[in-house]
Amino acid sequence: MRSPFLFVLMVLASLAQAQSLSQADVKNLLAQIRERRASAPNVRADFQEQKTIHLLNKPIVSSGKLWFRAPNKFRREVGGNSPSLTVSNGRDLWIYYPNFKSAEHYSLGKRSPVDAIIAAINTALNLENVENTFQISGTKAGGGYELHLLPRSPSMKRMFQRFDLRLNSDFVAERTEMVQPDGDQILTIYSNQSRAPIPESTFEFTPPAGTEVTSPLGR
Amino acid sequence: MRMSDLIARLMSERRALVWLGVAALAIICIAILVTRIEIDSDVINMLPKGFRSVDGLKIFDRDFEQTRELTFALRCQPQDVDKLEEFAPQFADNLRKQPWCERVLAGSPMETPEGIRDLQTIAVPLLLNLEPAAFDQAISILQPDKIRERLHRMRLEIEAGSPRPQFELGFDPLGVISPAFKPFAAASAIEQEQPLTSPDRTMRLFLVVTNQPSLSAFDCQRLMRQVNAFRAEAVQGWGGGHLDVLVTGRSAYVSEISLSMRYDIVATLGSSVVLVGLVFFIGFRRWIPLFGMGFALLLSCLVALAVGLLVFGRLSMLAIGFCAILVGLGVDFAILIFGRYQQARIDGEEYQHSIATSVAKLGRAVFFGALTTAVGFLALALSGSMGFSQLGVLIAIGIFFAGLFMCTILFLFIRPEQPPQQHDWVFDIVKKYVRWSVKRPGPMLTFSVVLFVALSAVGFSPVPPLRFEASVRSLEPRNSRASQALQAIMAKMPTRWEPVLAIVRARDAQELHDDWQKISAHWSELQKAGKLKGFSTPAALCLSPNWMEENRQSLGKVDLQTARQTLEQTLDTEGFTRDAFSVAFRLLDDLQAVANPAAPLPDWRKQLPKGAGWWFLVDRYFAKDPLLTTGFATTTAPVTTHEQSEELGRELPVTGVPMILSGWSYALADLQPWSHRQLLIISALMAIFDVSLLAVLYRDFRLWLIQVITLGFGIGAMIATMKLFGIHLNLLNVLSFRLVLAIGVDYGIYVVLVWQKTRELEHDVAGVIKPVILAGLTAVAGFGSLGWAHNPSLSGLGIACAIGIFWSLVATIFFTLPAMAAAKPKIWNESGSSQAI
Repeated sequence: MRSPFLFVLMVLASLAQAQSLSQADVKNLLAQIRERRASAPNVRADFQEQKTIHLLNKPIVSSGKLWFRAPNKFRREVGGNSPSLTVSNGRDLWIYYPNFKSAEHYSLGKRSPVDAIIAAINTALNLENVENTFQISGTKAGGGYELHLLPRSPSMKRMFQRFDLRLNSDFVAERTEMVQPDGDQILTIYSNQSRAPIPESTFEFTPPAGTEVTSPLGR
Repeated sequence: MRMSDLIARLMSERRALVWLGVAALAIICIAILVTRIEIDSDVINMLPKGFRSVDGLKIFDRDFEQTRELTFALRCQPQDVDKLEEFAPQFADNLRKQPWCERVLAGSPMETPEGIRDLQTIAVPLLLNLEPAAFDQAISILQPDKIRERLHRMRLEIEAGSPRPQFELGFDPLGVISPAFKPFAAASAIEQEQPLTSPDRTMRLFLVVTNQPSLSAFDCQRLMRQVNAFRAEAVQGWGGGHLDVLVTGRSAYVSEISLSMRYDIVATLGSSVVLVGLVFFIGFRRWIPLFGMGFALLLSCLVALAVGLLVFGRLSMLAIGFCAILVGLGVDFAILIFGRYQQARIDGEEYQHSIATSVAKLGRAVFFGALTTAVGFLALALSGSMGFSQLGVLIAIGIFFAGLFMCTILFLFIRPEQPPQQHDWVFDIVKKYVRWSVKRPGPMLTFSVVLFVALSAVGFSPVPPLRFEASVRSLEPRNSRASQALQAIMAKMPTRWEPVLAIVRARDAQELHDDWQKISAHWSELQKAGKLKGFSTPAALCLSPNWMEENRQSLGKVDLQTARQTLEQTLDTEGFTRDAFSVAFRLLDDLQAVANPAAPLPDWRKQLPKGAGWWFLVDRYFAKDPLLTTGFATTTAPVTTHEQSEELGRELPVTGVPMILSGWSYALADLQPWSHRQLLIISALMAIFDVSLLAVLYRDFRLWLIQVITLGFGIGAMIATMKLFGIHLNLLNVLSFRLVLAIGVDYGIYVVLVWQKTRELEHDVAGVIKPVILAGLTAVAGFGSLGWAHNPSLSGLGIACAIGIFWSLVATIFFTLPAMAAAKPKIWNESGSSQAI
């Protein structure tokens, strides 16, 4: 696990070589990303996450693997002392906790608070339609790009205060920093990105036998 | 001296005295009108009395705050949905600033921090109000071990990435709020199905409770003037395409209905006077008698209105339609009397003698015509509907005065020196027709029989069906902006049908609580059995002093101080911030306070902030009197039939709990037998009255039979026309059948009585057919004028009656006359005399 200090160094190093992008450049960049996504909609990556929430005194640090298929399917496996598995097939979202043998089930797209999870992943790995929902500025840094997204639509404002994103030369996210309206922050570093095909079964989940299933938002 | 001679003498020799009497009568009536007029604009009062479902509607309408609620809707173009989302809070803020606005709900209170905070303020009373076993279980979470275990698990779940603990700790950091609200959440499940944003996001709803002092017509008009001024400015700051600002609600409807009354009076009376006047002028080409007829009719209206106000005190808005009907019917007498007067003058009689002749010859017919019509309208009193009863009584009074005035005051407007009409082309045409149909009745009789049998076959056959519309929409005003707004909202929002209301009033809080507990348990069973789709009751909000006292004693045994210490320690151990748990500490303080037996029991009603969005939910259940409540039962299908309402009437009540079932759909379904009874039994009674009267009048089986067949043809053709033109029956226009029977029979009486006694076919039969045609057309014009009314009850009744009277007239002219000529032939003699064959 890399330390936060290393993150800061990386950011500073990138900024040192930063070159501002005009609005036309941003548009052009997003067009290239769209093309790339169309040809290769799958992304697989390892991630490290640092979450700072107002309920807790200290940040929570976790790591794991992520599989994503545009526009809205993903699988996220978190390891460590508190492992979890999050799977979305675009309609339902499952969060499974092996330690507790319990699973939470959420229906997506009904103005559910868990839509923020999808929106965050979608924004980071897909960048679909971001120009309509965010005000975007950016810089070219090294071989990649730094994008700063400020939410424009009310629905995005409910989920994000701001969203910063670093892309590599293959237009895959390397690092994201999300600040939520209540001040909670999530910093994620991605590595070992790949656009190899992902089997459909990756995005399906069936709770193992004996799992206690709940629907916390119960709609 | 005969009455006709007395009238003739008064009208010719004591004109000044009669004018004085007329002026005095008018002044008295106007004085009564000005000092006592009061109009009832409540649409519910048009429904019949004696039905508990209707009583329930009145209670809900009168006593529940929801009636002061306005629904605003913003509707944008699909490309502007994000702009609408951004604009909505600005619009809601503007609404809150309006002087007429008391509260605004712009979204689910659960989605706002204020809404959650407001809910947390009433957690303690609702917790204490739990069933004691549930309370013990809920409060057990305050045991130190359970506090530690819960927060540890929450911490692990947060680490694992679950969003749930964050929501849960944000709303219920101590773990006792959720159990307290469990019954409340279950009871208000229906409300959650009604979001304030349409699925396509092009429409946003805003619920507003106004501070208008009452729901009177004037208060509603005043409010809606302010609301409309706000609407004009409300779109300022909107940057998208076209944006509709729609408003609906009780006040919007009352304002529109009361304003449309003015239009209805002017439009129906004005068009009736113009049309009737036109027919009269075509018939007689005289201006001053036409003016006199109008004066006599208006005086009849004035007298009827004054008497009606003295009798009823307050007149229904429906009763205003009587003027147009009275004009259409009362003119019949003028046409008959003036026509006969003209004939006498043509025959060479003097002015006074002509008056005496016309009154003597037609006074009886006018009396019986007025009698049958008045009885027909008085039969509306059997409807049980205050509006229709008043309408019937006013017309019955008016028609008698119209008959009286046409036999008297009308002659004040006929100058003695006025020469009789020399050439009458209408009479010439009528005479030619009468001559042809009397000489050769076969062709016309064949044609009319074929036409009417065909129409009656269509009318009385089950195919195509005459649709009976029992929906609320059939009673809504036409072209109403409030109605259009409601339709637009219904089209955009996920629709569900109107639930059945169960209104329960208790003597004290404990009884209210116990009643709703029993009802909730019973309805829950019905839901499990698949007899109900869902239900929503105030059970969780009805406080039980008994349970609260018992739970307080249990709470007294809980060591809240230790719970507080454990919470503090666990927060530190697990790394939670104390600030995020301030609600938990406040809750512990509140529990400590209410655990004191000397402290008063908490009441959520006093603790919930006045501006809280939750009041919108509370006001659905509780009237201004907190012991008057309502619950909502959603059926498995919309309530449209009487069988459904009967089944609900059996299933929903609970033994020992007085309950009134209501709701518009339920009430209208409940009223269907009443409506059918009005259609069948009362119309049948009217028909029996008619045929009995005809039997006494004619004392001739064949003429009687012809007249009865004429009535049948008239009604059959009326129903066929309604079917072919897609005019549906509704709860109120079924009353038209008895009126058609009452009025339609008059034309036959005039013609048959003359046929029986005449010795001069041309002079008498053609002489009566012309006034009958004119009278029929004026009646059609009078009723047809009601079609202009915005009030659907009035316009529906008017159109149905106009159709029925038209066909009764056609049947009289084209069937009765040739049928009589065939059954009781008389020889047409060009010299004017006739003789029976």
